[in-house]
Amino acid sequence: MECRPSDRVPFVPAIYEHKAWFVHSTPSVVCRDVKLFTEALLAEYESVRPDALTVGVDVYNVEAEAVGCKVRYYGEGDSSVPAIEPDTVLYHGEDDIGSLRMPDPSKDGRMPVNVEVAKNVVQALGKEIPVRGAVSGPFSMAASLVGPENFLMLTITQPALVHEVMKFCAEVIKQYATAFVRIGCGVVIFDSQSSPALISPDMYRDFVLKPTQELIRSLQTLGVNNVPLIVGGNTSDILEPYLETGGNNILCDYPANAGEFLARCSAARRAFRRNIDSSDFITTTPEKLRARTRECLDEGKGYPGFILGTAVAPFGTPLEHLLAIKTAVEEYSKKGSA
Amino acid sequence: MKELQELADHLINGYADRVAAVTQDLLNKGATPQTILNDGLIAGMTVVGERMRTGEMYLPEVLQSASAMHVSLKILKPHLAKDGVESRGKIMMGTVKGDMHDIGKNLVGIMLEGAGFEVIDLGLNVQPQKFVEAIQTHQPAIIGLSAMLTTTMLNMKTAIEAIAHAGLRSKVKILIGGAPVSQKFADDIGADAYARDAVKAVDKVKELIAA
Ligand code: B12
Repeated sequence: MECRPSDRVPFVPAIYEHKAWFVHSTPSVVCRDVKLFTEALLAEYESVRPDALTVGVDVYNVEAEAVGCKVRYYGEGDSSVPAIEPDTVLYHGEDDIGSLRMPDPSKDGRMPVNVEVAKNVVQALGKEIPVRGAVSGPFSMAASLVGPENFLMLTITQPALVHEVMKFCAEVIKQYATAFVRIGCGVVIFDSQSSPALISPDMYRDFVLKPTQELIRSLQTLGVNNVPLIVGGNTSDILEPYLETGGNNILCDYPANAGEFLARCSAARRAFRRNIDSSDFITTTPEKLRARTRECLDEGKGYPGFILGTAVAPFGTPLEHLLAIKTAVEEYSKKGSA
Repeated sequence: MKELQELADHLINGYADRVAAVTQDLLNKGATPQTILNDGLIAGMTVVGERMRTGEMYLPEVLQSASAMHVSLKILKPHLAKDGVESRGKIMMGTVKGDMHDIGKNLVGIMLEGAGFEVIDLGLNVQPQKFVEAIQTHQPAIIGLSAMLTTTMLNMKTAIEAIAHAGLRSKVKILIGGAPVSQKFADDIGADAYARDAVKAVDKVKELIAA
């Protein structure tokens, strides 16, 4: 059902900005430097041995930046995570849609940096584990281009325009994702701004489902069979359309109901990743994390499509904390098969 | 008055044009701006808050109602000023340094305005010193700090320390919120209060103002 080790539940922690920590640097530096970024991924692999690697640091910015939004990077020693400057949105009204420029993944913004890093990592580790380029989902990218609140309001006042912007974004993402696929890398889509924290299940169906479905289908046509689609938050209310996107695996973030995901994903023969809450990753203890991991593993017991993950690991998460989760996964599987 | 209920209903439905028309109509008919504010806008936004809490309304709809509220407030403001009607208190909001999440903070601001408070928004990624300067300039009763990241919530502590260092701690109450923070964290960093969501934030602000 998913590329997985045969003897245990796969472990896929969400390490994005925290990658920089493995090379004693900061997210703002690493995400713009091919060499350091590559080294960070290799170091992440060496230290944590996760079952998949994601090429991405500030996972929601790359596409919008390549179209022309400005990203705020932080100075030396500041480990804050880069994000789009809110006052650089590109879409202010109907007339702007025609003026949005389709970026070239080999030239624009940091797209070429990420693709180059992916190439290096695929070369080094591609035979051992899945390597995936991080792309935005169309809704999240559109929210960055338009500004999230304006975009949310447009879903009510000008739905046709929202569809237009979504179409443009889906095409940008498709081009960018294709660049990853061409160098032998997989793709993972991040679309947490389409979560019920921000839009209703009906809106998900009206605006998000179709372009996401098409994007995933086009990647499958290119030979990428498993396209993880990451939507954080409590996604229980959108579980049906979430499955209809065709994403495999999908995310059951810590506030979502694992029982429902298990029932629906087994019926649909789809893998899902259950996240451990990461909000105390810096301050907690390995013992507590081991216990929390076991509880999570119980939730997916026996299901071959179950993956154990974490919510985004904050920059500076102690290595022993990530390893405590990993060890708990390994021990659990041994105990289970004994 | 029938029109006040109409005003509240249009507000709940997010019909800015109708909200503007009914606000003007009520003023023409001699309703006091205070009545329009209390029995139209605040009444309507209370329902919006309740429906958001129960999941009947989602963010896009709430934002629509908020923008209708702003249209009406714009019409009312000069009249409120003329009548010498004061807001229920001045609240300053900001997302702390390094954090670029502001949707939740803005929603808290909307609900506070919808409850009759004056809200000053410092935006996101706000440096501690900027909080200090803004307190000196605006002299708010309460300052609301927001953080959505485990890493940036620590910058709430830095902001509070800067406020204390400037000798302003006793002049403002500090309310904190955002997904990773908790009452315990509020206690640990010396904030005065914590609220889980926008509706609870309004209750807390009322408590803090009354205290
Ligand atoms: C939208 C979003 C973004 C948008 C933000 C856009 C914007 N202008 O706000 C963007 C794309 C920029 C973004 C970026 C990132 N994000 Co983000 N994001 C979210 C998301 C999907 C929704 C947050 C939201 O707006 N919710 C809706 C509002 C209404 O709810 P709320 O924010 O919780 O606010 C309510 C309460 O918390 C409270 N409240 C909030 N503030 C205040 C203040 C006071 C005074 C009070 C009383 C109450 C209060 O009341 C609010 C209303 O009820 C969440 C996941 C989720 N589904 O919740 C992740 C999430 C918050 N992000 C996360 C992360 C990790 C990131 C990034 C680091 C990702 C990356 N590697 O690039 C970056 C960081 C950028 C930066 N420097 O800040 C994590 C945080 C994990 C953690 N605990 O540290 C989350 C939880 C996702 C996850 N599951 O891992 N993100």
